[in-house]
Amino acid sequence: MPDATFPLIGQPPFEQYTLTGAYDEMFAPDGSVRPAYAELARRLRALSPEELQQRQRYADLTFLNQGITFTVYGNESGTERVFPYDLLPRMITADEWQQIERGLSQRIIALNHFLRDIYHDEQILRNGIIPRELIYSCRHYRREMRGLDVPRNVYIAIVGTDLVRLPDSQFVVLEDNLRVPSGVSYMLTNRAVMKRAFPRLFGAHGVRPIDHYGQALLATLRTLATDHRPEPTIALLTPGVFNSAYFEHTFLARQMGIELVEGRDLLAHDNVIYMRTTGGLRRVDVIYRRIDDDFLDPMVFRPDSVLGVPGLLNAYRAGNVVLANAIGTGVADDKAIYAYVPAIIRYYLGEEPILPNVPTYLCDRADERAYVLEHVDELVIKAVGESGGYDMLIGPHSTREQQAQFAERIRANPRNYIAQPTLQLSCAPCFIDGIIEPRHVDLRPFILFDGETTTIVPGGLTRVALRRGSLVVNSSQGGGSKDTWVLY
Amino acid sequence: MLSRVADSLYWMSRYLERTEHTARLIGVGLTQILDQTPQAIAPRWSRLLAALHVEPPVTGLDDPQTITRLLTTDAANTASLVSCITLARENARQVREQISSEMWEQINQLYLRMRAATIEQIWHDEPVEFYQMVKERLHLIQGITDATMNHGEGWRFIQVGRYLERIWATTLLLEVFFQPYFNGDEGAIGSIDWVVLLKSCTAFEAYCKVYTADVQAAQIAEFLLLNAESPRSIRFAADQLQDSLEQISQLAGGRHAGRAERLAGRLRAQLDYGQVDEIIAGDLPLFLRQIRQQCTAIHEAIYQAYITYPIEQALLR
Amino acid sequence: MYYSILHKTRFRYSAPVTESQTEVRMCPRDEGIQRLIEFHLTTAPYARINHYHDWLGNEVYHFDVATAHRQLLIIAESIVQLTPPLPLPDQLDGAAWAMLDEIAAHGDFWDFLMPSHFIQTTPALLDLAREIGAERRSDPLTVLREMNHSIAQTFAYAPQTTRVDSPIDEALLARKGVCQDFTHIMIALVRRIGIPCRYVSGYLFHRTEDHDRSEEDATHAWVEAYLPEVGWVGFDPTNNLIAGERHIRVAIGRDYADVPPTRGIYRGQATSQLEVGVKVVPTAVHIDETEVLPQITTASVQAELQQQ
Repeated sequence: MPDATFPLIGQPPFEQYTLTGAYDEMFAPDGSVRPAYAELARRLRALSPEELQQRQRYADLTFLNQGITFTVYGNESGTERVFPYDLLPRMITADEWQQIERGLSQRIIALNHFLRDIYHDEQILRNGIIPRELIYSCRHYRREMRGLDVPRNVYIAIVGTDLVRLPDSQFVVLEDNLRVPSGVSYMLTNRAVMKRAFPRLFGAHGVRPIDHYGQALLATLRTLATDHRPEPTIALLTPGVFNSAYFEHTFLARQMGIELVEGRDLLAHDNVIYMRTTGGLRRVDVIYRRIDDDFLDPMVFRPDSVLGVPGLLNAYRAGNVVLANAIGTGVADDKAIYAYVPAIIRYYLGEEPILPNVPTYLCDRADERAYVLEHVDELVIKAVGESGGYDMLIGPHSTREQQAQFAERIRANPRNYIAQPTLQLSCAPCFIDGIIEPRHVDLRPFILFDGETTTIVPGGLTRVALRRGSLVVNSSQGGGSKDTWVLY
Repeated sequence: MLSRVADSLYWMSRYLERTEHTARLIGVGLTQILDQTPQAIAPRWSRLLAALHVEPPVTGLDDPQTITRLLTTDAANTASLVSCITLARENARQVREQISSEMWEQINQLYLRMRAATIEQIWHDEPVEFYQMVKERLHLIQGITDATMNHGEGWRFIQVGRYLERIWATTLLLEVFFQPYFNGDEGAIGSIDWVVLLKSCTAFEAYCKVYTADVQAAQIAEFLLLNAESPRSIRFAADQLQDSLEQISQLAGGRHAGRAERLAGRLRAQLDYGQVDEIIAGDLPLFLRQIRQQCTAIHEAIYQAYITYPIEQALLR
Repeated sequence: MYYSILHKTRFRYSAPVTESQTEVRMCPRDEGIQRLIEFHLTTAPYARINHYHDWLGNEVYHFDVATAHRQLLIIAESIVQLTPPLPLPDQLDGAAWAMLDEIAAHGDFWDFLMPSHFIQTTPALLDLAREIGAERRSDPLTVLREMNHSIAQTFAYAPQTTRVDSPIDEALLARKGVCQDFTHIMIALVRRIGIPCRYVSGYLFHRTEDHDRSEEDATHAWVEAYLPEVGWVGFDPTNNLIAGERHIRVAIGRDYADVPPTRGIYRGQATSQLEVGVKVVPTAVHIDETEVLPQITTASVQAELQQQ
């Protein structure tokens, strides 16, 4: 058998595999296999296509049987779909992971400082690092949070940050998800399925475990309550069965052994939150909420919300209940604020960012807007307050008509849009329709922060743009996922 | 357990029981009515509709297809099979993580089949078999529930829902059959009708084992009301109901449904020590209506204790 | 001046409701020329009352009534003292516009310069601005005085023609409304020319000799604009007044949405009916502070020493 440096491209099972300008996770530009993938390459060469197919079918069936689904919005009345799963793991070496881990910790700590500051002394605004208007005009900035102290000063306890890898092998941050990040259940179930499909491959590799995420999340939530209640009752607040991430909510509640509640199960009485159980009203101390700010408390935010709990914000303000994440964290993952995150890191920590940002043009600034409007066909344009790949244009993959539409939207509401160069996301081998081909991938690691330490389980969700050449990895837009192996 | 979850399990169970009951009645109706004279058909369908609390249609009371459409695929009729299974499935969906996947799959499959069914297709194929299939699916769901779900608080709420519904439905059925008998119109009820009643309760075979095939009104009343062993008898259901309420009281911890338990205990005692000759000598239809009133009272007491209790009475810690 | 204020609110429900939650902004502010001496809030049915400062410094009281009820009564009683404000200059320096721009660019006034829920620059507002000359000219104080006067002249006072959630266009097109509408219109005009401007809710003490247009037994609203060197100045476009000793300030906000006297939610299939009554009276006797514990004079100290 040839050694790992031997060019495998063109040989079975890589006969259809081609290298593009993007960084390839498995193959070096000369076609040799990167060391982290050597064992996988060996194993793949030993398996027949039929055996691979069989394992893929087995994995698909496992997902289906376990009811691991998500709901697609805009589709006829919320159809449930299985999240497409790719069989081949994505490898991250110990060195790469160390840099990611340090970079994410640094970023989360700085963003947490930033949130505390803009809801208290506003020093960063007073010092003119960030224009005040940018904060005050942000849809997710919550004036109700001004001057309100949150337990342990933790605003963002649960974070999922999207990284992509550029052609020079550098990982860069694409966006921070500081409100209600999702996807961690797929990270965990991908691993569980992978262990059944390829039990022997694990042993040969030395893969760091991620199964303790549930315990780590629970520990974080408990820590947030310790100053306040020694034996806290913790509940996960879901919008209900029609939410796209409902599977994840049930999954995490089960993993942590906590109650899965809806707004109608909770009530506020004398500034304390209770849940209605058959045994009576039970006090709730910590709420891991998977509901957006807008829907949390109809007394304060959207009055038509039936998903929330009237009086929740007052109980929160009185310190009688902990919310994770805090209210108003969306101001820090606004895509216009994103452009300032390197400055935020320098300002609060006096350090250079370990993980760089993607260059970002703010359409709110006249000069940058002019540039964006001239280059709509080259850039990626995103709405600042959206996530999940909605309200977004990928210039090179768009029609003239779409480009004109976006230019119009930018002119009408410049504060609402930013633009970034179209990035060459790295590629990883995927097993698609019986053959192995490269597809673009990103990486979403999940970070927990309890006020002192950040915990990042070694892994994350590698999302795959399943259509050939596509750069959109969102599950709602035809993306899939694969297991992510951080190696020892 | 969250009150909302208990509520959904309870209603899921009631709707499943209702679906089974309706399918069973239609099935018996079809087999027993097909060989009747056209004049005899309409009153019998009308009796069946009354037993299901469904308003008879303006025309077509002698047309089995009209009646079965009303009771099967008519979504506007809240008592139709499709309405009942839809509500059962909706409640199951709300608590999907509390029930076993096997339960969910079966309920969902039955729902999908019912949604896809048309009365033309049912009659084109084999109507009796269709209702037999529905009934069997529901027995399967019940078996899977008992075999795959923890027999904890949630399962107990399912039991409560099932047996309360069964008492309610059976008393209504008995009332409809016994009312003419008590009105002195004994000729209106022939032995064929008593057989229909027993078969409507899946109790004909069991009855024959106890009393032989000699169908007598008093014996039928005794069997369906007071038999301790038949799972279709009201007494059996009342026993199960009281047991489950006692269990819930212990499992819920903190709150006691004193009133619900007392009411269920009284109902049970009434049936445990009831004498059929006394009941028959008295006003049986009234007796049955009173049992249903007690069911309503028990339902309300359960809600007061576990689901919609006032906040000021229920603060823990 | 000392005032006693009684502010009574009654909600009546068509059917019993439970778990009602209510927030109340009725506690007069304790700042500037106004001193809060006493505030007391009671409810029927009884509820335990909590309170907090909102982000605008307003004191918010809130409570919940868990039991079934068909009526909710809220009684707010306060006693405040107001001292006469410093007299305003006749006009400001011509450089005041430039100073305003400087303040806007560097100060923390964005909330009172940007559009907010009710404050939108609509075509109807631009028409009015043209009509009454609400543009930058002479000096900011003069423009504000004229604007205050023009709104009072242009709009008829007509209770019950608009609702609490009416957008300003309704009053702009009908040329009539109540204090809330005039206040919103003036804020929109003032912010448009770059002067920070906010909404004030409160009470107006009516004297018979004043012939105020606003209703005596209701809450009142007016605007406050920020001017260089002078600070926040209150203008009452309903009555064409500069706010002074008769304007009792309760809450400030970007517009009405930040300061409703009550905000609430309940569980139940019921419609609610709201009744509000307000009474403001000067407290009967003003006690001069020097009448009690007179100041210690040197002479009295010496007399004391001699006695010993």
